[in-house]
Amino acid sequence: MTATTASPTLTVKVVQRKHRTLWGDAWIQFRRNRLAVFGLIVLVALILAVAAGPYVYRVDPKHIDIMASGEAPSSTHPFGTDDLGRDLLARNLYGGRISLAVGFAAMLIAMTFGTTVGLLSGFVPRLDNFLMRFTDMMFALPQLPLLLVISSLLQDTLRRSLGQELGAFLLVVTVIGMFGWMPTSRIVRGSVLSIKRKEYVEAAVNVGARDNSIMMRHILPNVFGSIIVAATLEIAAAILTESTLSFLGLGFPSDVPTWGRLLYEGKDFLTTMPWISFFPGLLISLTILAINFMGDGLRDALDPRQRQ
Amino acid sequence: MIAYILRRIVLAIPVMIGILFLTFLLSRLIPGDPCRAMLGEKATQAVCDAFVERTGLNQPIPVQFAYYFGRAVTGDLGESLRFGRPVTDMLMERLPVTVELALLSLLVATFVGMTLGVVAAYWQNSPIDAITMVFANLGVSVPIFVLGLLAAYLFAVAFKDTPFALPPSGRLQPGLIVKTIPEAWGMEDLGGLPRTLLDFLSQMYVVNGILTLNWKVASDAARHLILPVFVLATVPMSIIARMTRSSLLEVMTLDYMRTARAKGLNERHVVFRHAMRNSLLPVVTVVGLSLGGLLSGAVLTETIFGLTGVGRTLFDAITSRDYIVIQGFTLAIAFIYVFVNLLVDLSYAVLDPRIRLS
Repeated sequence: MTATTASPTLTVKVVQRKHRTLWGDAWIQFRRNRLAVFGLIVLVALILAVAAGPYVYRVDPKHIDIMASGEAPSSTHPFGTDDLGRDLLARNLYGGRISLAVGFAAMLIAMTFGTTVGLLSGFVPRLDNFLMRFTDMMFALPQLPLLLVISSLLQDTLRRSLGQELGAFLLVVTVIGMFGWMPTSRIVRGSVLSIKRKEYVEAAVNVGARDNSIMMRHILPNVFGSIIVAATLEIAAAILTESTLSFLGLGFPSDVPTWGRLLYEGKDFLTTMPWISFFPGLLISLTILAINFMGDGLRDALDPRQRQ
Repeated sequence: MIAYILRRIVLAIPVMIGILFLTFLLSRLIPGDPCRAMLGEKATQAVCDAFVERTGLNQPIPVQFAYYFGRAVTGDLGESLRFGRPVTDMLMERLPVTVELALLSLLVATFVGMTLGVVAAYWQNSPIDAITMVFANLGVSVPIFVLGLLAAYLFAVAFKDTPFALPPSGRLQPGLIVKTIPEAWGMEDLGGLPRTLLDFLSQMYVVNGILTLNWKVASDAARHLILPVFVLATVPMSIIARMTRSSLLEVMTLDYMRTARAKGLNERHVVFRHAMRNSLLPVVTVVGLSLGGLLSGAVLTETIFGLTGVGRTLFDAITSRDYIVIQGFTLAIAFIYVFVNLLVDLSYAVLDPRIRLS
């Protein structure tokens, strides 16, 4: 048997269209926005710095060295030292962890509460009026003065029962979250109301899907885009509020050097040691700027109407 | 429109009652014995008993709230523990300082912000546009207190002994004497509402200086206000600039703009007469909304620049645990906030024909 004629190789060129997803599209759109990418890079760099920094830059942020007090930035102390000779780079890195953690934690509280209120309000007509009036009322309250009053009244009790650091953290995060959920609940409610009337939700109702599964499987995923944008901007707002509280001496106690607290400590030394206030001020501003850029980019990326 | 206005006013009532209840709850949050917390550690038992009796602290909670409600509505906010003065008097003395600061800031923010926004939109995508928008983004990202410290450092420390130096704190240079308006006008025996109004205006030193023709006071007070006003104005200014730009750009894509150009109007006329008018409504909304933010920002600005306004007083009361002042000032600030929001809502009715006619 020598029938070995070379069978002609058949090459079929399979043109496979690359699978595209909602999030893939959003990412492509996001990357086109240079400011948003810049914001993302800065934010990731800041998070890495405060997360890994203390392991690389091994200087104790609480070490007092009176001989080295009030030194300007130099190679031994890149950010200088404060009036007690504590190294400010170490303090800024350590404090940044808390500032950023407060931002994320307060955002989670605000998002959970805001999304729940928004979903309920949009989905359960009986609750709508009451919940929205409540949201309006919370909007109508002057935030900062109330935050100041509430945290000053509660801080002693909480710090005594939960310890300096944890007590202050929980207090700050809760009060900021409490005053930060209203925009989310309005956005979520609006989206739910418009999505509720879409044909595919009607179809789901007609095939007998239960309320719960409609809410969780059909509506929530479609509201997700708006929630993410609101969440991003809320992180910035929470970081700003924390630093404001700490700057006024009402956030964290003196041995927890958040960026706001460092500014508070530096403000009395503006004429002699301006670097104490300069670096935390720069870091707060940079973080908020980066997050705001990202939020704008996400808004454009997640809104299909903006696509080009 | 009347139905709309009435609806807004009626909706504000539950909010105000909510605020009253919230400030009432504040006094429940104070740790420890309320009497000792309110009157200080050295209050004797007899004084405490009298205090409890007078404020109704031995009554059931709903009755206590009714008492509090009644006193607050008639303008009795109690007496400061630290100064022994009626809180209402303190409020009348310090509120004008905040009002002057906030209104000047709003004026600066609106004027500069709109100008920048129009400039950026007119020369869209030019370097001027880019620079303006970068500054607008920085303006909403740099916290007020960072900006305040930076401004204080620059103008009081770095520019010391140059013509650019500006005072970083206080309202007037020491030694300058301010007469109240009734004093300067020789109307000291004036009473009633006009007197209250004039006393209120007297505390606004710039207004006072102008009304009493005392240029030294007016110009010195204004010099002290430059830094706080610009610091407080930055956030609303940035938001107004961005809003004006995007709103103007949006209107410029509409058909009637093409019509206006097609019939041969020059570009300036098209932009300023046709586009500006319709792009203003969202801007007015933002201006209104920033009033609330200004009140919050005033707490910080006043603290940094040592101005004895409402915010600074509240902050001092918090640090010295003057609970009566905390309660009274929180209540007053919240009421002003609601009132301002109400005014803003009502102004839409006047400006937006869609609301006016519906």
